[in-house]
Parts: sequence; structure tokens; C-alpha cells
Amino acid sequence: MQATSANIRRARPLLGTFVDIDVDDVDEWHAEGAIEAAFAAVSDVHRLMSFHEADSDVSRLNRGASSAAVSVHPWTYEVLEMAADMNRRSAGAFDIGIAPTLQQLGQLPCDGEAQAMSTSCIAMADAIELLGDNRVRFTHASVKVDLGGIAKGFAVDRAIDALRRHGARSALVNAGGDLSAFGPETRTIHIRDPRSPDRLICEVDVSNQALASTGRRFDPFHSAAAAGSAVIEPTTRTPAHAVHGATVRASCCMIADALTKIVMIAGVEAAAPLAHYRASAIFVSADGDVRATSDWQGVRHNAS
Amino acid sequence: MTEWLKWTAPAAVVMTMAAPACATQYMSVGEAQKSAFPSATNFTEVQPGRVWKAQAGERVVGYFYYDHVVGKHLLIDYAVAVEADGRVRKVEILNYRESYGGEVQQSGWLQQFAGKTNSSELKVNGDIRNISGATLSSTHVTEGVKKVLAYHASHFR
Repeated sequence: MQATSANIRRARPLLGTFVDIDVDDVDEWHAEGAIEAAFAAVSDVHRLMSFHEADSDVSRLNRGASSAAVSVHPWTYEVLEMAADMNRRSAGAFDIGIAPTLQQLGQLPCDGEAQAMSTSCIAMADAIELLGDNRVRFTHASVKVDLGGIAKGFAVDRAIDALRRHGARSALVNAGGDLSAFGPETRTIHIRDPRSPDRLICEVDVSNQALASTGRRFDPFHSAAAAGSAVIEPTTRTPAHAVHGATVRASCCMIADALTKIVMIAGVEAAAPLAHYRASAIFVSADGDVRATSDWQGVRHNAS
Repeated sequence: MTEWLKWTAPAAVVMTMAAPACATQYMSVGEAQKSAFPSATNFTEVQPGRVWKAQAGERVVGYFYYDHVVGKHLLIDYAVAVEADGRVRKVEILNYRESYGGEVQQSGWLQQFAGKTNSSELKVNGDIRNISGATLSSTHVTEGVKKVLAYHASHFR
């Protein structure tokens, strides 16, 4: 195979969305191998952290961690540790223990016993014990976790790692809007207006960092209008309504992904966790105001 | 400490960025066939433009399906590579298009893309390469793959 500097772009349906990998400046032969490794890493994260697959770490935890400590993959443990940190930093706004509420709302499948215990409400910090050595225990039988608010970003980070390991010099991984890029190039990302998906709210340049967005769900097959939010407020256990949609820029995609959930729930109160993780954000509040952190790209020019 | 400022998008940006339609060609059918079955020496059309049998010499190494998912606002061409034993080897998106603007309401706008693999369609707002926003669901492709496998099981097993 001839060694030409090329751009190769591939997309596969994974993580319930489309994962798009765009590799520049690498000879074709190596790019194909790098892309395969990156998709394999995303598949591994999917396999480990899916709520829906019976053999995933998440399902094994939800079945057994309340009766005995469960050993999980180091990746799953790493995500659980970050989730715990996010929970602390956000005063409980970020909570992976909302699975029973999502089941009640029909956004996650029920396993029969979900209704019976769904009224219980235990703070995540008290419910999930990270015992070290990749072992996890739940303190109560009703605890169920869902990593849907953070695992997609983690998967993007692992794909980026795989691409780097296989010699890619410049690449972008986009998992349905949660994305990360590395390399000398600056890439322009268009951000969709969460109020009307047929418009873009702004464009940002991304270089060696991650960007994640969360909005109210919209199903482009049935309606272009935004539907209810899949982000749940832990305190009220109802869909978040203060914010239409949020985009966060951070050093890695797992952090960006999780922080979007915090901005959706806490709005301007998310300033402290954003500052802690050195992240910037833009969000559209329910009253239509668009707010950005003072370090958001271009905000100084556009602030009024 | 982080402070929040009110954001006003520059008017010019809003003007040019309304109603984005974008299209990405990832692979041609030929590229996808070669990538899915590198050992294959020939691909025989079993159903014109839809199903190919991949062979390494005389040995059947698998089947290659080319299919489309048509939604109201979305048309996706994808390929499913099925192993000789019936397992999925690979699912690849070949062409991906999306639009939320008024043009999809006009009949014919979507049809112009159907089954095409040439790169001319990239002209549809080709400057938009990456979009971030509410997550798009891949459910329809997943359902499409299931249909392909059901078809495969009834015809080639």
C-alpha cells in the first residue's frame, strides 16, 4: 500500500449514537489500524458500561453489589471514581444513582422490581462505596447506577488514546456531539441551538481538548422539536427544566460530558465545578437567555 | 471564580448558520467491501446494488449488504458485513446526511441523495464538518441491521 498523507473518516453506530472518527496526516496503512483500535476501545466501553447489556459491569453491579462487593474493570472503576468526584463537587447535582427514576420515566428498561423500590432516594455519596482494588459495593438493595451521563465522554477519551498509541498525529472523535480532538490542527465545531435543532447557536474552535453537549432529547425521525430532557434533577427526581441545553469545553471528554449534566441541572450554580475542572461552558436557559462563562471562546467580543 | 456573561451571537453568524444541512461521505461501496473482507478476491452481486457474496478464490468468506435507512429528516447509507457463519463482522456508515431545515419538506430533496455514493452531495453545506448538540439516535440503523440479518438468515443460511 502506498504511503500517502491522507484524511480518513469513518463512522459506526455505537453507544446508541454515531461515532465518527476523523484521522489526518497519517499514512493510510496505519490509519486503518488506528481507527480499528479506536472503535474497538469504544466497543469495550459500551460492553462494560451499558445499562442494557446483561454482562456489563453496570448490570453486574446493579444485580449484585448490594449483597457483596463486585470487581469491575479498571475503566469502569475510573469512571465511578470520577462520578463520585463530580457528585461531591456539584453538591449532588451529578448523580449516577438515578437509574430507578429513568426506569420510571420509561427512559431505561424496567426489570420488574423497579417500581417497587423506586420511591427510595438515597444520596449517591452514601449509596456507592468504592473499596479500592477495582471493587465496588452498594449500601442498599435499591441502588442502581447508570453511567449514561459520563461513559460516552470516557469512550471518546479511550478512542483518542488508541489513536495516539497507533501513531495518529491528528484526529477528532465525535460520539453524537461529545467530541475530542488532538494534533496541530484547529477544528471548527458548530453547536446546534437546543431550542430549534435547525439552527446553530455558535461555532467554536477546538484544539487538543474536548467538547460535550447535552440538550433536551429530540428525535429527528419523528419531530424536529425538542422533547423532554433525559437529564434528571436528583433532588426532585423530575426531568431538568431550568436549562434547554448546555455545551462544555474541558481537557478531556469524560469531564466535559459529566459537566454538561451539572450545567443542565444547576445552571449558573455550575460555576464552581466548572472552575474546579478548568472547564468553560455555554448554555441556553429556559427563559431563552444564552449565558457563557467569561472564559468561553469569543465571549468578550459578544458579551452585552 | 467563573462568572457568567450574557451571550449574543453575532448577527452575521446567525444568518449564515440557520438551517444547517450537511452530508458526509465516509466510504464508497467498493472501499467498504475491501475493508470488511480484505482477504476476498471477488465480490459477486447476488442482488443488484444491495447484496454481494465475498469470495477468496472459491471459498465464501461472507456477504456484504448495502442498505439505507430513510427517516423524516435523515437518510443514512450503511453496510453490514456478515461472516460466512452468519455473524455480523462489521457495520459501517457509508453516507450520512442530516437536515432540519425547510428543504426536507419539499419532496425530492431527500430522493436526490438516495443510493448515491458520489461526493457531489458534500456541497450541501460542506463547511460544517462537526456538529455538537442533542445526541442523535442510531436506533434506526440498529433496526436496519436486524432486518438485514433476518433477510440473511432466510436466504443464505
